[in-house]
Amino acid sequence: MSDTPEKVSVETARRSWTQRISVIWLIPLIALVISLGVAFQSWNERGHLITIEFESGSGISPRQTELRYRDVKVGVVEDVQFSEDLSSIIASVRIDKKVAPYADAGAGFWIVRPELTAQGVSGLDTVISGVFIEASWDSEIGPIRRSFKGRETAPLFRPGDEGLQIALRTIPGGTLTDNSPILFRGIEVGRVGSARISGRGNFAIAEAIIYEDHRDLITRSTRFWDTSGFSVSIGPTGAEVDFSSLATLVGGGITFDTFVSGGAPVADGTVFEVFGDSSAARNSVFNASEVELLEMQVIFDENISGLTVDAPVELSGLRIGSVESLSGIVDSDAFGDSRVRLNVVIGVQPARLGLPGEVSADAALEFLTERVAAGLRARLASGSLLTGGLKVELVEVADAEPANISRNSDNVVQFPSTESEISDAAATVEGVFTRINSLPIEELLNNAILFMESATALVSDADLRGTSEEVRGLLGDVRGIVTSQSVQDIPVRLNASLERIEELLVQLASEQLVPRVIEAIDAATSAAVSVGASVEGVPELIDQLNAVAAKAETLPVEDLIVELTGLTSAAEALIDTDAARDLPASLGSALDELNATLADLRAGGAVDNVNATLLSTREAADAVALSSQDLPALVERISRVFEQASATIAGYNKGEALSRDAQAAMRDISQAAEAITSLARLLERNPSALIRGR
Amino acid sequence: MERAERTSKVITARDLGLVACLRCAQAWPRETERCGRCGHRLILRDEKSLQRVAAYWLLGFACYIPANLYPMLKTETLLSVQEATIVGGAIEFIYYGNYSIALIILFASVVIPLAKFMAIAFLAVSVVRPSSTGPHQRQVLYEVVEYIGRWSMIDIFVVAIMSALVQLNSLASMHPGIASLFFALSVIFTMLSAQAFDSRMIWDVQDQREGTKP
Repeated sequence: MSDTPEKVSVETARRSWTQRISVIWLIPLIALVISLGVAFQSWNERGHLITIEFESGSGISPRQTELRYRDVKVGVVEDVQFSEDLSSIIASVRIDKKVAPYADAGAGFWIVRPELTAQGVSGLDTVISGVFIEASWDSEIGPIRRSFKGRETAPLFRPGDEGLQIALRTIPGGTLTDNSPILFRGIEVGRVGSARISGRGNFAIAEAIIYEDHRDLITRSTRFWDTSGFSVSIGPTGAEVDFSSLATLVGGGITFDTFVSGGAPVADGTVFEVFGDSSAARNSVFNASEVELLEMQVIFDENISGLTVDAPVELSGLRIGSVESLSGIVDSDAFGDSRVRLNVVIGVQPARLGLPGEVSADAALEFLTERVAAGLRARLASGSLLTGGLKVELVEVADAEPANISRNSDNVVQFPSTESEISDAAATVEGVFTRINSLPIEELLNNAILFMESATALVSDADLRGTSEEVRGLLGDVRGIVTSQSVQDIPVRLNASLERIEELLVQLASEQLVPRVIEAIDAATSAAVSVGASVEGVPELIDQLNAVAAKAETLPVEDLIVELTGLTSAAEALIDTDAARDLPASLGSALDELNATLADLRAGGAVDNVNATLLSTREAADAVALSSQDLPALVERISRVFEQASATIAGYNKGEALSRDAQAAMRDISQAAEAITSLARLLERNPSALIRGR
Repeated sequence: MERAERTSKVITARDLGLVACLRCAQAWPRETERCGRCGHRLILRDEKSLQRVAAYWLLGFACYIPANLYPMLKTETLLSVQEATIVGGAIEFIYYGNYSIALIILFASVVIPLAKFMAIAFLAVSVVRPSSTGPHQRQVLYEVVEYIGRWSMIDIFVVAIMSALVQLNSLASMHPGIASLFFALSVIFTMLSAQAFDSRMIWDVQDQREGTKP
């Protein structure tokens, strides 16, 4: 050990490379392999970059906003940019490779934000975590797409969702509350999505989903109605306010019921109508359209008022549908001028056509196409004479120009039309009504009232009343004459005279017997004849009184009445004249005269003469005859008085002033009539003047 | 050693035909296979030492790159998620005015690791290519590198403690980022690289140089 060791020759011989290279190099090698592997894997698994276009990018931030599918992150936003025209934002999203193939044409993307609606709060978690983009797609792998257009709102049902997908459309003129729940017995069993208006604007349609659990509730007999808002009814049970729930009160809602059991189950895509209320829905079950309507467009050259929505569409008198909507149409390309035509959309219910085989809109269209080739045309016809309503009638026109059912560019079925047949009845009835309307009833009534007033004034006139008093006085006088002692004495005296005649006869019998008896009898006979003659004068008097009465009746009163019926103003004028006013006074004076006559009669020795006659037994018969001969003269005088009176009355009628008044009245009335006639003509020519007041 | 440095020549064990035990420093005759005192295998010179140094150095440096690029700490508060890289965090501290903390972070996480990489690389290269720096300085450098190496893990400790302490569910929580893993790997590989260096070679080079001189 103490020796210096030999110099060791250091081995420099080449050794194999395995000996020279350390095993340690394996470690970086492995690290390299691992990192390369990781790099490759992450590159390999790196998702596809898709772009989604949104209206606004509120809350989207690069590398943070997630893309979620069924609430699981499947990607992340990498970049947010504007579109070229700055009208929208484009979010670039790195989407996981595994799910990327599903993002095909059927995929939808929308931004989930916190939302506060009448139905509740949604998306609350995004308040803290920030918004995210929700994706939905079906389970089919389709051709991959790189760019998408984002939706504004979440779709009602996402591809792959379970549930019954139906569509709800409004009845013509109905309303629909969209984005609302579908309630059944107060439980939400589905949802209505956003509604859109049909192309022609005649109804709104919204897609709806019935959750899978409640699918069986919907059958073909199910009817939907709108429960939005509330209804107030007041009845015998008191006032009632009815609304389904607070949510539907605020946000509206749709409910349904199946009124008839045994309806067939429905398939996805069935369209249901939404009625206004439950009673309308219930009624619809029984007269319901079981098949989708065949809608056709008819363009009428004439624009006639009277056709309304829901007006009947008839084929051979049978109602097969109704008018769905009305509008004007101007299409100078199609018709060659720029006139406004009546564009009517009619809905034909195929079930009402009674077609054999399958009842469907297509079958109905086929049938109608055949019939149109044979000359079937649509025309406007009077539906109701009273209201002037029109209906659409499908009639076969023998010499129709050839036409066919065609489809226009919007794929709307067009039905050919022909000239309308609108009866004049409506116009006639209208004319009658117009004429009745234009009658001066008010004026007539006014005149009648005036006449009544005048008549009342006439009747209540003191003079006229005085007339009756005087008549009464006359009667009293007559009674006075009759009850006067002298008249009452007549029988006694007659009796006495008869006794004396008897005595006389006895005396005669004793003295001259037969010749004197005969002489007495003759005298008595002549007296009796005289009495008869005087009695005969009485009917004459009555006749004359009658005549006077008739005259009194016919003369002024008749004219009055004639003028009253047509020309009441004249009557008024007539009554107003002084002559008429004087009439009672004249009558009174006539009666006075009569009275005086009677007084004369009483004062005059007529009765006394009778008495004297009767008193004188010898000249009894002569006196009686004489007094009897005086009586007709009296009667004649009275009749003369009456004649005079009637003549006086008649004279009034002929009076110049009176006729002038009457003529003036007539002129006024005829002028008034002319004015009314011209007004009526004006109204006839221009009925709207009545409304506008000009 | 200082005395030895001043002397013109340092006699190594190999020059005397001896081999020193790397574990207990006992010198044995060259042919001896195992240390008679501690039983450690005796190797005259580890010829593959430099390869190991290079391999570990590369690995460590490779890990150091993602350690700086990726976030070190992920802070989740109620409304936001913050991810900070080492340098980014330091800059943030500077922004908020905490210069001292920023300096500590920069020193411990950037300056020291980079210095270690350079020191190890320098030592390894100096074995192959003669350098002007004396073997004594290099030996000191080597010992400093070896000593400091374990302290580089302080970043990882901080991240680990923060993650463990700040766990208030959704209110606030901290998670170590991916960079912390790479940083730890980088530190480990750097330490391995430093350990793989056979410091005896520092002196062999001197021998060769001096041997070739005459």
